[in-house]
Amino acid sequence: MVSASPMIEVIDLSVSYAGKPALEQVTLEVRRNEILAVIGPANSGKTTMLNCINRMIETIPSASTSGTVKVDGHDVAEYLDPSLLRRRIGMVFPLPVGLPMTVYENVAFAPRMAGEKDRSVLDETVERCLKQSALWDEVKDRLDDLGTRLSGGQQQRLTIARALSLNPEILCLDEFSIAVDPVTTMKIEEVLKELNENMTIVVVTNLVLQAKRLAHRTALLLNGKLVEVGDNEVIFSRQTADARTFQYVQGLFG
Amino acid sequence: MNASPFATSARTATNRRVESVGKTVLAGVTALLILPLTAILGLLVIRGAPALSMEFLLEAPAAGMTAGGVFPAIVGTLWLVGVSLAVSAPVGIMAGIYLNEYARANWLTRMVNLAIVNLAGVPSIVHALFGVGVFVLFLGLGTSILSASLTLAIMTLPVIIASTKEALAAVPMAFREACWTLGATRWQTIRHVVLPNSISGILTGVILQVSRAAGETAPIMFTGAAFYLPFLPQSVQDQCMALSMHLFTVSTQVPNVPEAIPYATALVLLSVVLLVNLTAITFRSYLRRNRKW
Repeated sequence: MVSASPMIEVIDLSVSYAGKPALEQVTLEVRRNEILAVIGPANSGKTTMLNCINRMIETIPSASTSGTVKVDGHDVAEYLDPSLLRRRIGMVFPLPVGLPMTVYENVAFAPRMAGEKDRSVLDETVERCLKQSALWDEVKDRLDDLGTRLSGGQQQRLTIARALSLNPEILCLDEFSIAVDPVTTMKIEEVLKELNENMTIVVVTNLVLQAKRLAHRTALLLNGKLVEVGDNEVIFSRQTADARTFQYVQGLFG
Repeated sequence: MNASPFATSARTATNRRVESVGKTVLAGVTALLILPLTAILGLLVIRGAPALSMEFLLEAPAAGMTAGGVFPAIVGTLWLVGVSLAVSAPVGIMAGIYLNEYARANWLTRMVNLAIVNLAGVPSIVHALFGVGVFVLFLGLGTSILSASLTLAIMTLPVIIASTKEALAAVPMAFREACWTLGATRWQTIRHVVLPNSISGILTGVILQVSRAAGETAPIMFTGAAFYLPFLPQSVQDQCMALSMHLFTVSTQVPNVPEAIPYATALVLLSVVLLVNLTAITFRSYLRRNRKW
């Protein structure tokens, strides 16, 4: 259900890399248990915005940030240890990065780092996450193989399983289907819809149709500025608030 | 114009010629390098072998260095290499980790890195003088295994730091980012992902410094290595003999030494270094088997 207080609030967020602006005064909210799609051409600041939500932006030395991001009502800057914030937010990158360890260890890594030592709990977590990411049937006999030996599509689902391993309240996916075939993409989209029952999901995507299929609402970023955010019925109609949204969605841009 | 990929053209003939000339030149240079190396080894074996025996390995020098063996020097070299690495390996590796994983890229870090590179090029005699000044005299450690080992440690540190940094930098940044995103702290990331995947490279740097610590004469000459000692060192406060120092002594300082003794000493020195390296290399390949990408 979509409840009143938003899960993520982005307020007046600006980011620049070595003085070059990447995001300018973006204000946006992500409601609880919705899927928000973020679309926009390359270099429009989509990934930068995700990086601000889990404070990964701090690991980029040239980035300077102003504005506020709140997760579950709390300013993310208030976390003394960003790890504690990051454990609440699952992240999936465009190109899957299998950690150099076994399939099992890839999924058990985050819970282990969070202090979980009980082998039976870890076993359950690994099985649950691999099932949630629709990978279990393919790898259940290969849990001790290297994660990096899986195929590209399998690795991407492995990173999704990994992102789910701490039961995050929020899942952010950055162009997850870039290295994945259409069949796997559809599988993952089904998975996301199921997860959405008790998880807030942000999907950054280059595929307008994916946003239309998957999301409840869609935001369009252009050159670091938010053009429009709204329900999919509006964004994918003729009644968009901004003419550029209509043009972009229809592929008439530029 | 696209030439047929199946017919020989002037272009492909040139390419093939360049290829074969390049290959020959590179192979030739490699052969030139191997030649002196094998010549040195061969000479050592041929000249030194007659003097090699169990007695040579297990007895002290006798009759004013003109007879007997090199046992105290072997023991002393192992002491020096062991103690100096016990200091320089942990310190160097930790400094390398800090510089690569934590230090921000500011002018201070750049200065430190520059200093490390330059220190690696300082002649060993300079390190020797530093060792005499600081460890022997100022800190009052006297001429001892400790002073000599610390001097060797200072000498080997820059290379260990530099090679540690390089090994760490070879671990893809994406691994670190994936770990941070999963809520691993910086140290957890280093401990569980970065170090396991760079340890073999780090050890390579350390291994190279074993040979250096064992082979250098100048840094230990004034700080802890003795010309001749009638007893074996009992602690790091004692002086010791060392193979490198002994080689220097028997080949230049003592008259009437049988020709085979310096050669045999050099052969033993090489073997000791090789043995220490082999141990480290075995350990490294054991670790490398766990490498996952």
